[in-house]
Amino acid sequence: MTAASPTYIKTGRPFWAGRRGTGIAFVAPAIFVMLLVGLFPFLWSVAVSFQDLAGAKQSGNWIGLANYKKLIADARVWAALGRTLLLLAVALPLELILGLLLAMHFQIERPLKRLFVALIVLPAVISPMVAGSIWRLMLDHKFGPFNQIIGWITGEPIVLLWVIKPHLAFWAILIAEVWQWTPFMFIILLAALANVDREQLEAAEIDGAGRFRVFFRIVLPAIMPVLGIAVLIRALDLFRIFDAVWQLTRGGPGNKTETISIFMYIRGFQSFETSYTAALVVILLIVLSLAVTLALKRMEIAR
Amino acid sequence: MNRRYALGEAIWYGVSILVVAVILFPIYWMFMISLKAPEEIFKSPPAWFPSQPQFGNYAALFLDGDVWSLWNSLVIAGLSTVIAMILGTLCAYAIVRFRTGGDNLAIWILSQRMIPPIAVVFPIFLAYAAFGLADSYPGLILLYTAFALPYVIWMMRGYLADVPVELEEAALVDGYSHIEVLWKVTVPMARNGLIATAIFAFLFSWNEFLFALILTRTEVITYPVQISQYFGSQSTFWAKIAAMSALGTLPVFIVVSMLQRYLVRGISLGAVKG
Amino acid sequence: MSDLKLSNIHKFYGGVHAVKGVDLDIPSGEFTVLVGPSGCGKSTLLRCIAGLEEVDGGQIDIGGKNVTDSRPRDRDIAMVFQSYALYPYMSVYENIAFGLRARKMPDAQIKRRVMQATEMLNIGALLQRRPRELSGGQRQRVAIGRAIVRDASLFLFDEPLSNLDAQLRDEMRLEIKKLHQELKRTMIYVTHDQIEAMTLADRIVLLRDGVVEQLGAPLDLFNRPKSRFVAEFLGSPKVNLVPAMASNGVVRIDSDITLPLPMSSGLIKATPVLLGIRPQNISRAGSVNKNDRAAIEIVTEFVQITGTRALVTFSLGGNSMIADLEVGADCVPGNDIKIKFDMNRTMLIDPQSGIVIYPPSATAS
Repeated sequence: MTAASPTYIKTGRPFWAGRRGTGIAFVAPAIFVMLLVGLFPFLWSVAVSFQDLAGAKQSGNWIGLANYKKLIADARVWAALGRTLLLLAVALPLELILGLLLAMHFQIERPLKRLFVALIVLPAVISPMVAGSIWRLMLDHKFGPFNQIIGWITGEPIVLLWVIKPHLAFWAILIAEVWQWTPFMFIILLAALANVDREQLEAAEIDGAGRFRVFFRIVLPAIMPVLGIAVLIRALDLFRIFDAVWQLTRGGPGNKTETISIFMYIRGFQSFETSYTAALVVILLIVLSLAVTLALKRMEIAR
Repeated sequence: MNRRYALGEAIWYGVSILVVAVILFPIYWMFMISLKAPEEIFKSPPAWFPSQPQFGNYAALFLDGDVWSLWNSLVIAGLSTVIAMILGTLCAYAIVRFRTGGDNLAIWILSQRMIPPIAVVFPIFLAYAAFGLADSYPGLILLYTAFALPYVIWMMRGYLADVPVELEEAALVDGYSHIEVLWKVTVPMARNGLIATAIFAFLFSWNEFLFALILTRTEVITYPVQISQYFGSQSTFWAKIAAMSALGTLPVFIVVSMLQRYLVRGISLGAVKG
Repeated sequence: MSDLKLSNIHKFYGGVHAVKGVDLDIPSGEFTVLVGPSGCGKSTLLRCIAGLEEVDGGQIDIGGKNVTDSRPRDRDIAMVFQSYALYPYMSVYENIAFGLRARKMPDAQIKRRVMQATEMLNIGALLQRRPRELSGGQRQRVAIGRAIVRDASLFLFDEPLSNLDAQLRDEMRLEIKKLHQELKRTMIYVTHDQIEAMTLADRIVLLRDGVVEQLGAPLDLFNRPKSRFVAEFLGSPKVNLVPAMASNGVVRIDSDITLPLPMSSGLIKATPVLLGIRPQNISRAGSVNKNDRAAIEIVTEFVQITGTRALVTFSLGGNSMIADLEVGADCVPGNDIKIKFDMNRTMLIDPQSGIVIYPPSATAS
């Protein structure tokens, strides 16, 4: 019955045959488009950052790391960076905590809950540009209702020059951002909390664990992976904030609310300091890529 | 017990209504201003309700031709979404079924979504200027497609993976090619996810500002860019901001309210299965 | 109708060497069952035959044609899946017709074929229903219908009855047997259930860890297994294995139970073996005859009554054994029963290697 077995046959198929070939064909167009936008600009920026292009100049001279040195010494860059990180450091925890409180409030199944949730989500789906515009209208010290409302609460008329005074401008941006993106956190945490294993919670209740304990020991670890992604997404979005700031203050007054993105826009598209901006772009891309890859790897491991 | 429960319920509803009111107030404000006559807008302190609601501001948008920007937004966001959905679904299918590129490809694609647009826009701007793509439909569509792709691929990955492999295998044995299987078997099964992804991808492009700002001048401006041009202290500008914002936002609200159930998965990049 | 030839098939699956050099020659029209425990590679092998997996080494020939590099649709095969794989948004008619549409068959011909198939399977009344409206058994028939309507030369079944409840399984088993008799196609059937294997197969291929342990007609594997693994896999309840000492004509369990061997065992001196005897080959002895050395007195420990049979658990020489006896009043725990082994049906197994040394196996590897 048994034929003499032929020696081990290694299939002599070419690399692109069969399923693998089909897979490559399917993936190629999308990757091509993404590379066009992802790789080319980076390479170009690297090349240009080592030159001295500015204005309408078509070709530049090689000046090595001069731009990078200038960047490190530029106080305005550090100021913009600092402001951006400060915004991030304040807004993110706020969005997280408010989102969490809202999500916990809506953990109960009640009629109309879906309606409420759908309404709360609305700020997150409008254009950030529109959000900025709305708050520009809201915060106007003469014609906006915000000051009016504060006046009612404190009992005396308040005139806060939200978009005019530097300190207040920062808070204005903060308010707009938190208003728009807390619903984002809320929606994610709502679903994440709902997915926590009911049986674990019930077991804890039977064991007599207090509310805080249950939260920190059971709930928090369970939603950590989702929380991680949400925080990562928001952190990156906050870092490159542009639309709302542009509409509220244009980076002003002066450049007191200039974030990194605004800075790059002004230097690149108003002063046309091509190479200088390119250097900043390169540094930014490298740092962000590293940070994201590290964060993703850590989360993949946790997953 | 019943009374305590009823009280708890009442409090819950009270809090909920308060929260919703506070959150939606600015949106109400925007709509409300769009219905105010320009002179009334600049009253201090502002009235919370227009004395005579009127659509004059909207009319102005039409008369001044500003409405054209909405059309541009529609074409650009629409086409780029369609292209991204086609290319992205193909790519996602290969990643899920053929494991093309393994984990590395998947992570690279996700990281693409994280690229800050500002870092990319500069060289693109110069390249577009050189190739004559600035201020044109194809230019912006290409860019929006490229930015929608990582999102589409990541989301469709999840939805396609939910389709049982055996259905596709049965079709393969029955005599269909991979493309035919994808089109005739997998896509109909994943239709809901497909629609949800398309809607969210469309939303991102519809709301996009930075690229549009930089890459359009006069021909092809989208509605967020149009709004940004109303920056100043004229009351007509405020009226236009409000009206244009309302027009740009209303479609979003309508669509999203129809698709509530996909909200969670769409917004969170599929991190959470709502 | 085609034959199937597998030569030295290797397949790595998820880092594991799932199929390690399998050779199979299956003549046309035969019903072959691939059976074995989980992870033995039977499903992987089937999927390789179907073309759903690409082999890492070896060659597959269907009907004399080398199809190793061909796509599933070029192999002229039909397949029935474990979970039926019916398209939920199509009617039963469309489900069955789906494959024919791929071949661009004209509608009239499609209709004819579908009607033929559904008549054979008695599902003609269900044509307009959706899969979700059907019961498990009906879905299974539709899946089979989809396979036979294609008139392929090779039929593959991937554990099709696993998702059905026990009674339905018995019914469908018979249906499949009838199908094979009517259509006379070459069929390859994968299952982990040894009853399906025994009842359906013209030939059984027992796989273990990616290698063919033994292949042959069901009764050959049952009565003349090559190894302990084969002996234990087929038959329910499992074959009893008892440590014993064997020499040329006798085998001795403990020190006081000596049983005669009908054939020469070829063993010269006393050798430690495992004595294998199936529960069904143990029966009640008549009155104890001093000359009847095969009769043994035992004490029942547990009794499981299945209706007409009683599975009696007892100890012999410190080993737990089960006997499948006719139900009787003496089948009560704690009772004494006299039993005897059918020595024509025993086997001796080498404890170290697991190879059956007596009786010699009827089939080659």
